[in-house]
Amino acid sequence: MVPVVLQGIVSGIVTGCVYALIALSLVIIYKSSDVINFAGGEMVMVGGYLGMFALLWLDLPYVFIFPFAALVIFIVGALFDRVVLTGVVSRSVPGHSVLVAMIIATVGLSYVLKGIVRIIPYTEEVRRLPPISAGAPIFLGPVVMQHQDIAIVVAALGIMGALWAFFNFTMIGKALRATSQNPRAAALVGIPVRRMSMTAWGIAAALAGIAGILLAPKLLLTPDTGAIVILALAAAIIGGFVSLPGCVAGGVMLGIVQNLIGLYVSSRAISLAPFLVIMIVLLVRPQGLFAGNVRAKKV
Amino acid sequence: MSTRSIHHLAAAMATLLLLIGPSALAADPGITDTEITIGLFAPMSGPLAAFGLDPLQAAKMWYEETNKKGGIHGRKIKVVVEDDKCNPNEVVAVVKKLVTVDKTFFVHGGSCTAATVAAQEFVTREKIPHVMLNASGDSAVIPPTRYVFGAFGGTQRTVGATIAEFAIKELKGKRVALIAHDDEYGTANVSTIRAVAARLGAEVVAAEMISPRITDVTAPLLNIRAANPDVIVSTVYPGPAVLVAQKYAEYGMTKIPLAQAVQGIPVPAAFAKNVGNDAALANFYYGSPLNDLTDGPKQQKWLALYKQYYPDRTPSAFMTYGLPSAMAVTRALEKAGRDVTRESFIDALETLDFDSEVVAGPIAFAKDRRDAHRASIFVKFDGKTHTLMPGVYFWNGKDGL
Repeated sequence: MVPVVLQGIVSGIVTGCVYALIALSLVIIYKSSDVINFAGGEMVMVGGYLGMFALLWLDLPYVFIFPFAALVIFIVGALFDRVVLTGVVSRSVPGHSVLVAMIIATVGLSYVLKGIVRIIPYTEEVRRLPPISAGAPIFLGPVVMQHQDIAIVVAALGIMGALWAFFNFTMIGKALRATSQNPRAAALVGIPVRRMSMTAWGIAAALAGIAGILLAPKLLLTPDTGAIVILALAAAIIGGFVSLPGCVAGGVMLGIVQNLIGLYVSSRAISLAPFLVIMIVLLVRPQGLFAGNVRAKKV
Repeated sequence: MSTRSIHHLAAAMATLLLLIGPSALAADPGITDTEITIGLFAPMSGPLAAFGLDPLQAAKMWYEETNKKGGIHGRKIKVVVEDDKCNPNEVVAVVKKLVTVDKTFFVHGGSCTAATVAAQEFVTREKIPHVMLNASGDSAVIPPTRYVFGAFGGTQRTVGATIAEFAIKELKGKRVALIAHDDEYGTANVSTIRAVAARLGAEVVAAEMISPRITDVTAPLLNIRAANPDVIVSTVYPGPAVLVAQKYAEYGMTKIPLAQAVQGIPVPAAFAKNVGNDAALANFYYGSPLNDLTDGPKQQKWLALYKQYYPDRTPSAFMTYGLPSAMAVTRALEKAGRDVTRESFIDALETLDFDSEVVAGPIAFAKDRRDAHRASIFVKFDGKTHTLMPGVYFWNGKDGL
């Protein structure tokens, strides 16, 4: 039984890394604008199709499709913030929460992206990108791994590391963090808050797009691929929704839990795993596993 | 109530009866001396258009061919076409419009069962015959209702029964492992496969029910491997079918035959490309309701006819699925005679039993049967070559009910 469990854990880590990337995208947007991006899944899907477009039609090598797709989807995300969200905020009525309108705008974006993809005839069938790295399976004792799985884990870890460095060691990264913590204070010290919001949306969208390319060789592409956002939301909630390392751990944990539930309870219960985990986390530790303790605030 | 009031009421009712009498006695709408109007609908836009557009055009083509040969009992077929988008609300609206506004004789349409069944209550209440186009889900036709006929590609009970019989008889399976979806389709598949296995003396050693949106099939495949089956039957949809085939190869299970039902492999070449691993298809079989490979010699005449009608369109794999239902319609109209009514059309449909030359086995109905087709063929597929397996497999109409 041990080899089976090990196999389930390893496979769960691979899938969990993709959930984690999408969760990171959601958390970056949440931290920058307090909005849950319900178009996050569709950004993943569009990223996958952009990768396919670059690979099959533009004939770009694999190393270039990541920056290509990231750049295109970065522009989509940034423009959405600049054109739609700014418009929604500027037309908000005092006394009514603008957040609801902003969240609905993200739902609208999800439909627009899905609709655009569906009018392309090529998307009628299930598609798959070729593996990033191919070759005979690798045996680690009783555990089998594909080159593709290792590529996913390495790419996901690399992106997470780059993101950590970006937020901690670059001026823009620090400005983004400052804006997310206190936009008014950030504006007072000369940080262009609007531009920072656009940048955050762009980065988050690019991250989702890259996750789409990593996902496409493994989980296949259809215009409904965006439904994976539910799993990323679960990962983000496990991590506390404000913690970047938290959602990485949440994603990996979710991937593993899904497989263990499938092995020990029932395959039928796999799709319940994220909701079960969300409920347990919300009951036991409402602020998430990686957020700080909840403190009473003096008002 | 006074006697006088009763007299007034009786007079009013008599007047009302006189007024509605003539229309009640008149012939059913949608039929004249020269024309029969049929309401034809399918998804022609939206995400599920691929399931409906070509079958609808194939049905239209069949009606035009019938008209070229002089029509039916001197009447030409006229179709009013509507797009249902595979959406239950749209289906109901479209059917109501075809019946009440366009005054069609009956409706012929539906490519998605979940949406198509939404019209069942209306057609039953209004006594309108509804011949489904290529929707094949069990819930629309089992249990049978008088006015709805369908499953020209076989229900999921047919899919389950035929693949189980093939796996047990042809692939010599004694220990059968199943992987199916946890929805209505999967439940019908599994109950039938279990029943067939019990009847043929085989054992179902694993039955993995997964979500159609599953992202990782590691656990179900590890469970199947642990059960040590000698044949694996999969009835999952295209995306999960690819994941299953990939993991099956990854976990070194390719010595065990894998039989995949038709819903997971609509286009075999695309499936092989998506799996991307020849080893996964070394011992692989798929089922089909057709009487030949999709481009096999028996299908060529339909492909050629379609090309003649729609020269600019490459038909999808679902195109020919629209033909048997149109054939059933024209045969039943022929059988019902010149004085056809909606009720006599239904009576004629109930007596049909014919070879469509499209699907394997006959198209047949009966007083207590509304699912048209109960047969499948099987094909060995290694990613490049398709080899037809011997025999046609049938559902007996009992297993899994």
